[in-house]
Amino acid sequence: MSSALPTRTSKTPAEGGDGRARTGAPPPGSARPGSVARRRARAGWFFASPALLVVAAVTVFPVLFSLVLSFCEVRLDYGGLRLGSPTLGHYEALLTHPEWYRALAFTLGFTVVSVFAELVLGTLVALVLERLGAARGWILALLLLPWALINVIAAQLWSYLFNGTYGAVGWLCEQLFGTQPDILGEPVPAMAAMVVVDVWKTTPFVAIVVLAGLMLIPGDVYEAAEIDGAGPWTTFWKVTLPQLRPIVAIAVLFRILQAFGIFDLPFVLTQGGPGTATQSVAILGYRILFQNLDFGGGAAVAVTTAVIVMGCCLLFLRVFRAHVDEEGRA
Amino acid sequence: MSRHIPRTGVRRYVNVVNLGGLLIAGCATLPLVWMASASFKGPGEISATPPSLLPEDPTLGNYETAFVRNGIGHYFLNSVVVACVSTVLILSLAFFAGYALARLPLRGRGAVMTALLMLSVFPPIALLVPLFLMERQAGLLNSYPGLIVPYVALNLPFAIWIMRNYLSGIPGELEEAAVVDGAGPLRTAVTVILPLARPGLFTAGVFAFTATWSEFLLALTFNGSDDRRTVSVGIALFTSQYQVPYGVIFAGAMVATVPIAVLVLVFRRSVVSGMTTGAVKG
Repeated sequence: MSSALPTRTSKTPAEGGDGRARTGAPPPGSARPGSVARRRARAGWFFASPALLVVAAVTVFPVLFSLVLSFCEVRLDYGGLRLGSPTLGHYEALLTHPEWYRALAFTLGFTVVSVFAELVLGTLVALVLERLGAARGWILALLLLPWALINVIAAQLWSYLFNGTYGAVGWLCEQLFGTQPDILGEPVPAMAAMVVVDVWKTTPFVAIVVLAGLMLIPGDVYEAAEIDGAGPWTTFWKVTLPQLRPIVAIAVLFRILQAFGIFDLPFVLTQGGPGTATQSVAILGYRILFQNLDFGGGAAVAVTTAVIVMGCCLLFLRVFRAHVDEEGRA
Repeated sequence: MSRHIPRTGVRRYVNVVNLGGLLIAGCATLPLVWMASASFKGPGEISATPPSLLPEDPTLGNYETAFVRNGIGHYFLNSVVVACVSTVLILSLAFFAGYALARLPLRGRGAVMTALLMLSVFPPIALLVPLFLMERQAGLLNSYPGLIVPYVALNLPFAIWIMRNYLSGIPGELEEAAVVDGAGPLRTAVTVILPLARPGLFTAGVFAFTATWSEFLLALTFNGSDDRRTVSVGIALFTSQYQVPYGVIFAGAMVATVPIAVLVLVFRRSVVSGMTTGAVKG
């Protein structure tokens, strides 16, 4: 699986070889380098284990705990948590609940639309930035501001701009089209509003990653395209885009996973509404947990989310690797 | 006859690329300017139509309310404590783990790195239930460690990635010289590698601080009580009886945004390199 991440792991073999050459192959007759190697190997785990143990304690262990909870009757009383008899009830309740399917559909739709929009806009922004002269540094700095803004603040800011009576966006719509829509009060405009906010906040990240990818494309590739008589349009589709694929693919994977876990934005901007139109899976899980105090149900949401996310991850990496292979053979 | 020269002069500045750049800068910053401006508007002007870009009668009243009545200063201090302690812990753990993964002969390195990559984007909602119950059992709810522990763990994977990628780019000769001199791995790491690792630590640090400063879901569920709220929760829960007090919210938001904005602008090179050369994460 690690080989599915070409940009990262391509370094590893070289380093591994490097390390072996230094430590694993002592000059014949000298015992000292071997003991140094062993000492270094022991030090390796000694250095890495505190961090890895902390990560495991707060991620791997809770996931396993969720798994147990989701298959048990759970009661919370003054004495603490009581686990009852094993049951499939939490999953049954979840899988037969239309709200879960609606939340899943909204989350998937939001993820696909916003990541796609960010990718297209981010690429356009990167193409502009690549051609900019002295102003590029300034614009890059400005682009970092929305990216670094606290999600909750971005949501409050846009809820003000989208406000039905005095929001600037509504006012602008009235000037342009003569009607002032109640953006956050109708399901489809509210979903669109969430996409707009997410695109505003995360396109800078995609643009910066794509820009880095553009800088990595060697100039002679473009020269070759020019000699072959390719116009700018053909060059973009046939040269630039394929070259960008590896770096962009990883960024897209991260964006998909992040968008899938979205919580802050709907929590503040729409409270999942109107109705349950913008209720993401994370919002649903939160509600099951803290409004219904249903810990088993919440655990079932957690486990299903984890399974979906891991599945998407593996699928994405597999598909992506297939592309790389085709490319490599071609 | 003379048309050619002035047109190239104008073309140099007015062209598609520069207009695009201007549009990009405008889209990125206009909402932020709007927020900054609204934080100085009085209660009447903030809900006026048509909306005004700049406050006609600037006032600091919103800031006063945010500090005096809504206690934004207190939330700010909570965030400072949580984000600073978390960042320091993340950096110290990630430095050694990144060094081990980059430099020392670790078996199973590939598997560890892939697992860390996956964990760095794992949705927190999947961990919320068990972590809540664990913290409840341990009596950590509504305490600083109650947030610091999960923040450290959730942000470590990405910090380790950055450190590992940075440290594997440092030439090996210095380290070899230290080993030949008889320095053990710990002394080598601290005296030789640590001073060279500064750019990597900046990158990892900015990302860790930004992430912990902004985190919302865990802060809302674990530290919901007023005395341990962080800024993001405080700002999300700013409400009054009749209408959303946007002026006060934005005053609080400005206070919460300034440290992050300064940090990101000062270390913008680190941020960009973290986005691109470290694992890629938004």
